[in-house]
Amino acid sequence: MTLSTSNVDVDHAQRIQHERRMPGDAGRPLSQSRGVMRTARITSTALMSLWFALPFLPLVLWSFANSWSAPDLLPMTLGADGLTAALANGAVAAFGDSLLLSLIVAAIATPVGAMAARALSRRTLPFGRLVSVLLFSPVLLPPFAAVLGINVVLLRAWVPPELGVILVLVVVAIPYTTFSMRVAYAAYDDGFDEAARTLGATSRFALWRIHLPLIAPALARSAFLAFLVGWSDYLVTLVVGGGQLITLPLIIASSASGIGNESSVAVLSLSAVIPPLILLAFVSRARNLNPGKQS
Amino acid sequence: MTAALTRPVRPRRRQLRAVLLVLPAVIPVAFVVIGGVGTTLLQSLGLMPLVGTAELSTAAFDDTDELLTSALLSISIAVVSTAIAAVIGFFTAVLIVSGNWGGRIVGALGAAAVTVPHLVGAATVGLLLSDSGVLARLFGVAPEAWPALVAGPTWFAVIAEYAWKESAFIALIIVGTLATRITSYDETAAVLGAHRFARLRLVLFPLAAPSLLVASAIAFAYTLGSYEVAWMLGQTYPEPLSVMALRLFNSASLSARPEAAAIGVITIVLTAVVVAAAMLGLRRMRAWR
Repeated sequence: MTLSTSNVDVDHAQRIQHERRMPGDAGRPLSQSRGVMRTARITSTALMSLWFALPFLPLVLWSFANSWSAPDLLPMTLGADGLTAALANGAVAAFGDSLLLSLIVAAIATPVGAMAARALSRRTLPFGRLVSVLLFSPVLLPPFAAVLGINVVLLRAWVPPELGVILVLVVVAIPYTTFSMRVAYAAYDDGFDEAARTLGATSRFALWRIHLPLIAPALARSAFLAFLVGWSDYLVTLVVGGGQLITLPLIIASSASGIGNESSVAVLSLSAVIPPLILLAFVSRARNLNPGKQS
Repeated sequence: MTAALTRPVRPRRRQLRAVLLVLPAVIPVAFVVIGGVGTTLLQSLGLMPLVGTAELSTAAFDDTDELLTSALLSISIAVVSTAIAAVIGFFTAVLIVSGNWGGRIVGALGAAAVTVPHLVGAATVGLLLSDSGVLARLFGVAPEAWPALVAGPTWFAVIAEYAWKESAFIALIIVGTLATRITSYDETAAVLGAHRFARLRLVLFPLAAPSLLVASAIAFAYTLGSYEVAWMLGQTYPEPLSVMALRLFNSASLSARPEAAAIGVITIVLTAVVVAAAMLGLRRMRAWR
């Protein structure tokens, strides 16, 4: 009995403490909205949520609709016709090809970007600014313009189309991996590597047991970005791939350009939306290690 | 410093090590960017024909009316969608950094929107906005009475798709650069008696402005060069630059290749101008600080 009373008192004290926060403390006492502004904030939150969520609605509704003619608010009969049609269109193979392509792009672009970011963060690189501009340029280059040109080069050099697609997508992904790793290295403390080496670790040991675990969350984030580049691409796979590589976006595009394929387009689109969301959930749970604080 | 402690390394060797680290990224990027742009330029000037002899000519740029129409259309779509995305993205970022539960929901939904491929975004916006789409059903409007949002003269669906995806992108970029320091500035201003709109105008906006500008420039460049959304949701005529280029590229006529490349060159120049303007703006912003 006495124990539970004291617990209640502690909670009460914590609540009072919570209300007495000073500026700069975690929390937002003075900038917290009240009254009319609170209503405005909740309304704008609802509107923004609607704005971002609304385009997902047709995917969910159409995915399970066997028939849904025009004026009806909800699908008339539910079923798996969309799934059947999607499977008949080669959804499984395309899904596998998309996954493989994205993983290969991430597996190449992430370490390459991380190494470049490490070199750029050290300031010992000659022409560092020029290298930064070059490595960032693929973001700004119109993809179709670059693809029309590079396609000719790759064809004349007899590069197999699959390799060409991987090469171009790695180049598109390198800015994302390089600059997300650069942000990570800007906050990285070389002292950990130095301490390990001073204590007698070989450079290989320090890399695998100290350096990589410390940057692992940042590596996961940049690998996710590189994965998205491969997963989202349509144009490079279409033009450079020359029909050799049929990924998910390609069969979505061909289904969507036909008439009456709504439910199969929705199923295919949903299967293209879900894997990145699962990865996003994993990546956003990866927190930075803070070796200074052992808890 | 690291190198000095771990192993005595001369400056020349440290330079060499940095160069070796950066080369695996520089070589493919230089190959694709310089090779791609260079070849596009050579093709547009008739110096790299598929058949026949190379001869310098600007014939590919001759159809100025068509090119101008397409360029203006592309620029208009990019300007309108980027402007909408910048406004929504900024206010979304303000909501997210406020740290309320609502901000967390909006942040999660925005992050989800960023991961959606543009092609899938185009497919689902089509299902949402077409005359027998989900919105028409929700509002109970008959297909005949529903405005031509998809493939119509206003390019509504195309702009909506870009605005949707890019607003999420811009919001996340702003949140990423501000999340750590905005709360203390905002609270300090509040303690000093600044009202909500004064804080928004004098604290949040100036702090967010550089990343807002950079993110908007990237979104603009992307929209200008993007193909699949305008191809799926747009009208067949007039065409944006990218759609016209791809149509010419795939056409049977041999003279069409240089014309497709010429459109590529025009788009690259337009993008470069916009990016340069954004960089100048960024420099002025920094100088003003």
